[in-house]
Amino acid sequence: MKKVKKTGLLLMSVALGATTLLSACGKSDTAAPSNSPEGSVKPKEKVELDFWTFWGSETRRPIIEKIIDDFNKSQDRIVVKHTYYPFGDIWTKELAAVAAGNPPDVIVNDINATPQRASKNQNTNLSKYLAKDNIKDRFFPELWSTVLYKNEAYALPFNTDTRVMFYNKKQFKEVGLDPEKFPNTWAELEEAAKKLDKKNGDKYERIGYAPQYAGFDWGSIAMNFDKGINWFDKDGKPVINDQAHLDAMNYVLSFTNRIGQKNLDAFKADFGSKQANPFIAGKVSIWPDVGTFYTQIRDYGQGMEFGVAPIPEKEQGSGHWSVGGGFVLEIPKGAKHPDESWEFMKYMTDKSAQLYWAQKNFDNVANKDVSNDPELSKDPVYKMLVDNMKVTKVFPVPLNAPDFQKLVDPQRDAAMLGKTPPKEALDKAQKDVENLIQQNTK
Amino acid sequence: MSSLAAATKPRRGSLERREARQGFMFVSPWIIGFLVFTAGPLLFSLYASFTNYDITSQMDWIGTRNYRNMFYHDPLFWKSLKNTLFYVAFSVPLTTIGSLLLAVALNQKIPGMRYFRTVFYLPAVLSGVAVYILWSMLLTPGTGLVNVALSWVGIEGPAWLQDPNWTKPAIVLMKLWGVGGGMLLYLASLQGVPEQLYEAAELDGAGTFRRFWHITVPMITPVLFFELVTHIIGGFQIFQEGYVMSPDMNSPGSPMNSLLFFNLHMYLKAFKTFDMGYAMAMAWFLFFIVIILTIINMVLSKFWVHYEGGDNR
Repeated sequence: MKKVKKTGLLLMSVALGATTLLSACGKSDTAAPSNSPEGSVKPKEKVELDFWTFWGSETRRPIIEKIIDDFNKSQDRIVVKHTYYPFGDIWTKELAAVAAGNPPDVIVNDINATPQRASKNQNTNLSKYLAKDNIKDRFFPELWSTVLYKNEAYALPFNTDTRVMFYNKKQFKEVGLDPEKFPNTWAELEEAAKKLDKKNGDKYERIGYAPQYAGFDWGSIAMNFDKGINWFDKDGKPVINDQAHLDAMNYVLSFTNRIGQKNLDAFKADFGSKQANPFIAGKVSIWPDVGTFYTQIRDYGQGMEFGVAPIPEKEQGSGHWSVGGGFVLEIPKGAKHPDESWEFMKYMTDKSAQLYWAQKNFDNVANKDVSNDPELSKDPVYKMLVDNMKVTKVFPVPLNAPDFQKLVDPQRDAAMLGKTPPKEALDKAQKDVENLIQQNTK
Repeated sequence: MSSLAAATKPRRGSLERREARQGFMFVSPWIIGFLVFTAGPLLFSLYASFTNYDITSQMDWIGTRNYRNMFYHDPLFWKSLKNTLFYVAFSVPLTTIGSLLLAVALNQKIPGMRYFRTVFYLPAVLSGVAVYILWSMLLTPGTGLVNVALSWVGIEGPAWLQDPNWTKPAIVLMKLWGVGGGMLLYLASLQGVPEQLYEAAELDGAGTFRRFWHITVPMITPVLFFELVTHIIGGFQIFQEGYVMSPDMNSPGSPMNSLLFFNLHMYLKAFKTFDMGYAMAMAWFLFFIVIILTIINMVLSKFWVHYEGGDNR
């Protein structure tokens, strides 16, 4: 009896152990079959690179995979494999992989946090490679300055964006505005907006323009009012409560007061995407957005008559400042084949890849020459977007206060909701950010 | 293997020892897993909370600086703690009472009850981001279903997620939608209350309310207690709601940081600014709050939780 029990136990534990072992070895990596013709011997060792992106959508995936495929065919030593992770996970995963010492070879990352990542030792210094192939002049200078940490590059810009004003020409004509002449200053814009409003009793059927909507909110307007300075001056000192930022806030509030917060909220409730986008649906006449918004109009606007114009300026000559962002390619710290990663990144930022990306996505790319390619410039909208890069600023995360925005936002909300006078709110934000910097530089 | 049917009288000591050894052998995968994947990281995070750990570049001992910063220099720490406490204080009693009343209502013996139980339980099955987005739509001021329904009875609803005074109440309200989960447990324990107790009480002239208060409630206190403890622990961990339901996508926790819950603040510190050491200090602080509350709960439970078969536990 006892014996039976014992053997039974033994058998069971052996079986258990075996299954765990088996399941662990089940996924042994088989080497990738070489696709060389007739088994000719390759003199050089092949290197496989793992390239992480968040471009998994139906439109973007084929585009990036075609570029990767072209690169793989262009030479016979490096094979790049594409790995897709969703936008929300990719960088957290990468962080864990870097910490574990097993990162991808190349990754797409946010341009604004490049110096922050460099300061935290998360990406690879590219100086050594740039000394060999100096490709710095490929890129828009504003983008290049964003990837520098202590004057050394830690990433290569890949694509970028800029915000412009889309406006409905038909509605301009309807209310007697010149459809070929977009308002030049913010004051003129407000006048035009009033004309474009359409009310039925006290309900709004159309709102000409409201800074509360779309992609150019108070923060961006404040930067535009301040001749391209956002929250920190040249020396990195916070200037949140300077006069121009306060003026911008009052500008935004003048819309709130005129239209009414309730009306703004109620009107916004019906905003959707695609055909239901408020600009495409004709509910809002003037709509600031990134350049790729054009593809939405093209696909869902059924030939609507629209124009694009630069962001207005505060007064004649103060500048049509806009704000942009974008993504970079970088080599995570501790990647195994940095030399080969560099080769691939060089290819990705070179003419053919950048041109293909720009054409297929209607996206702004980081490569200057490609942006000005005659074929692309044939499209007036694209040309306008590229020209807008001259007045587009990119704002890297300040290293001594990476999360300062969490202190500015609540004060902005308080002022916008009429809970705090604007001046008071901005003074408070200024003080909070000064304290934060003091904490971080102790 | 009919070995368990052994009726022989074994020598106690050696058999017990062997059984213990075999028992440990069987649970060893779990024990090893616990040490490697739970206890290890726990101790690591406790150590890291006293360092300037940022995952990739540094890990120097800085003593209690993280804890001092937390209490004295981070205004958002207190703000986020208040937000979380507010949520726990309102959400726990409301969901507890809500699910209990729902369970009592669904415990009636009338035809079609099973259908209603299913319907009320369904929302508890759904969870996560999809539900939050759905509720963001329902809570839209003006056209959202919640305010439209309120307008039928002549109430002008607030701007819910846009108005910092109403954001947290909106989340508490939304959470009431998921009472079906608790309801199921209460329902199970209600079914276990012996019928003859009610009959006896009825003979003694106890009304409906008295029967409920003196029989039903004491009989289900163990489940009430269990629900209370798990809800408080779960309540302190609220995170996603603030992350997803903020009207300004670029500012999780907006408006006016009214939805910046403790864990959301912690997450942003850990993964946006890479202050992992600080985030771990926050995590341990939260752990102590929860453990103290749980101990208080355990102590208080002696006075009101009634276990069948005496109070000798």
